[in-house]
Amino acid sequence: MIYFSELENLPTYDARGEYLGHLVDLAINPSQNALLVVCYIVRTPKKQIRCIGREQISTISVRAVQTSVSAEEIPDSAPDEGLMRVKKDVLDQQIIDVNDQKVVRVIDVDFDIQPNEKHTDLRIVAVNVGAAAAMRRLLQGLLAKHRIRMIASVLPTKTIPWEFVNLIESDPARRVKLRISYNRLAQLHPADLADILEELSRDEQRSVIESLDDETAAEAVSEIPTRMQVALLNSLSAGRAADIVEEMAPDEAADVLQELSPETSAQVLANMETEEANEVRELLGFEENTAGGLMTTEFPVVLETGTVEDAVRTLRSFTGPIESVHSVYLIATNLALSGDVSLARILVSDRGTSLRELSTEPLISVPFHADERTVVSMFRKYNLLSLPVVDDNGRLLGVVTADDVLELVIKEK
Amino acid sequence: MNSERLRHFKTNVLIFLSVLGPGIITANVDNDAGGIYTYSVAGAHFGYTLLWSLIPITVALVVVQEMVARMGVITGKGLADLIREEYGFRITFWLMVLLLLADLGNTISEFAGLASGMSVFGVNRYISVPLGALLVWLLVVKGTYRLVEKIFLVACLFYVAYLISGFLAHPNWGFALLSTVKPTVQFDSAYLYMIIGLVGTTIAPWMQFYLQSAVVEKGIKLKNYVQSRLDVIIGCIITDVVAFFIIVACAATIYASGHRQINDAADAAVALAPLAGRAASALFAFGLCNASLFSACILPLATAYYVCEGLGFESGINKRPHEAPAFYTLYTGLIVLGALAVLILSESRQVPIILLSQVANGIILPFVLIFMLRLCNREDLMGPYRNSRTFNIIAWLTSVVMIVLTLLLGVALFLPSYRP
Repeated sequence: MIYFSELENLPTYDARGEYLGHLVDLAINPSQNALLVVCYIVRTPKKQIRCIGREQISTISVRAVQTSVSAEEIPDSAPDEGLMRVKKDVLDQQIIDVNDQKVVRVIDVDFDIQPNEKHTDLRIVAVNVGAAAAMRRLLQGLLAKHRIRMIASVLPTKTIPWEFVNLIESDPARRVKLRISYNRLAQLHPADLADILEELSRDEQRSVIESLDDETAAEAVSEIPTRMQVALLNSLSAGRAADIVEEMAPDEAADVLQELSPETSAQVLANMETEEANEVRELLGFEENTAGGLMTTEFPVVLETGTVEDAVRTLRSFTGPIESVHSVYLIATNLALSGDVSLARILVSDRGTSLRELSTEPLISVPFHADERTVVSMFRKYNLLSLPVVDDNGRLLGVVTADDVLELVIKEK
Repeated sequence: MNSERLRHFKTNVLIFLSVLGPGIITANVDNDAGGIYTYSVAGAHFGYTLLWSLIPITVALVVVQEMVARMGVITGKGLADLIREEYGFRITFWLMVLLLLADLGNTISEFAGLASGMSVFGVNRYISVPLGALLVWLLVVKGTYRLVEKIFLVACLFYVAYLISGFLAHPNWGFALLSTVKPTVQFDSAYLYMIIGLVGTTIAPWMQFYLQSAVVEKGIKLKNYVQSRLDVIIGCIITDVVAFFIIVACAATIYASGHRQINDAADAAVALAPLAGRAASALFAFGLCNASLFSACILPLATAYYVCEGLGFESGINKRPHEAPAFYTLYTGLIVLGALAVLILSESRQVPIILLSQVANGIILPFVLIFMLRLCNREDLMGPYRNSRTFNIIAWLTSVVMIVLTLLLGVALFLPSYRP
């Protein structure tokens, strides 16, 4: 094991033992091999930057790098832009630790020295973020290397294996070249992904969001603070922002759009599918701190004359977020709310049972203009999971769900 | 329709308010206990003759602050982050250690300011300081973001106290305004030392870190940069308008009376009473308490933030203490040490710590300014928003003058024979 803090500035010699320069950086070619150092970047005494290929390295130690070629055989060219550079792209940069779901700043990088028959390779093993690494960086170049190792050995180390390291690159062209993808992030829980996003700068957030699919992006965006949502949506194109907002629950979408500037909000709405845009527009008409502002317009609804079978059919074809559905709502032909049947009751009843028989008695609903506090106290009083919202004529407008109320209560704290 | 228009108006005001803030808050924290003391001494010893320096100081402040605000908007990263990414771990580490030291000294002088301000109202420091520290700590750790923001904005409004006490002192306005636009340079060491003190207290390293992080935290976007710049400029002007009124109040009374010796900012408040009335005196002391408490709130918090940011520790009030131990340790530690120092150490013992923190400030400032200028000229970072040639000339000139003045201050600190 050798650390980048030990490799940096190592004197490099050619086959005849002549001094070539000192090592300034190491480069990896992610499109060939994600672990192997392919290019040893050396600064010559004349301040030229040379790139020595991996086949030309014969030995590497904490004292020197020895090459197997003469100085003339080393091409006089700077390293390719498409290479990932350890010092430039990894050291001191923020990375995502996919395993621990955290954003950390790299302090040192660990390598394995692998001698082959003809040459020696360096293989990247892990990034180091602990106190020991910090001490090594602080003392680097000031003390002999074995002393630094001795001092650092008493301090705690924390390493993140390279396979769990996700680099962050906000330049899309470079991201493609360096083969950086955020696929692994898509498998995280949206709330964990949101925690990671919160740690990143705006451009970095944008780059992560741009590479995720709409649904994952929408789930993650729903979980980050409103202020960040606004900044993020503003930095995306109106089309992409619309795709993401479309996938969000209508009440959440409306909340974000309300915070955007009127022009941006209009642009995003214009780019959304008509149906989703209309739903959100409807919600935007309600005052923010009322039942109307809290509710979602995606909920399963069945005519009051229906049976359990009808309810199941409606649920199967329901396109909204099914996880937050707790009840199927019954309406009369004049669209007035007439019943509220919990999913559990539907589950345990025969298919032919009339839904009206299963409806919760007495029926609880709230007018759209009721303020937040009333809504919260109703949830508390009646132990609700969801609460239908009606207009002055008793027509069903939407549903407030427990998750939104929980958020309100926590915010009030 | 009417309600819709009302809402539009509301969102517009909200956008305005959400952009306005970092610059103004930074500016008000800048007028902390140490600042008020320096301005008071400037007025008490030199009358109106130092007022002219406020204009170049404002310009320099605007130039420096505008750069960090711009970097915050364009890169979306804090200054500590950028320095770490560009200049590596070791430089960042030592910079953060020095900043921590400097800010500890600043925090001590905030609590000392609170103690002396409250003593004018007859409150013992053994009551005012622990209560103040507890209040500050609770506000940030237990308070909600909205509450904290509201309290900060109210605290900003209280700086009006200095404007009123300035008027109550019945200064010679004509002469004061003339002195503001017409430079009069005296070449004695006491006068020069005072100018350096004024510059040093107005342009401090921590402000650059705080402002840039605050801009990033607010999520200000490129589109709103114009408003953000306005916020910075207004903030810088507020800083120096408050300074102007403090200097004028002291010049019209303490300087005019001939008894010009004041040992702390509360002395100035007391000295105002027979000359400008008890109301002016009480307002001055109230302003001092407000400023001290306000800065004691923000400084430890900001310090904890950027030290964690630079060294890569978890930070943020929204995290629980066990999730961000370094952050909470630093924040709590600064407040506890700052308050304890005022309670336990006699004033003469506090002096070496505050001196040390000024030295730390002086060492960091040149580095911070040069790092800022270099970062602000990086094409890959700033793109088309990097410094223009004209701006660079102004910014480098400002920085060089600042650095020379800081070095002179260091010389003056260590060679007492050069000190007044």
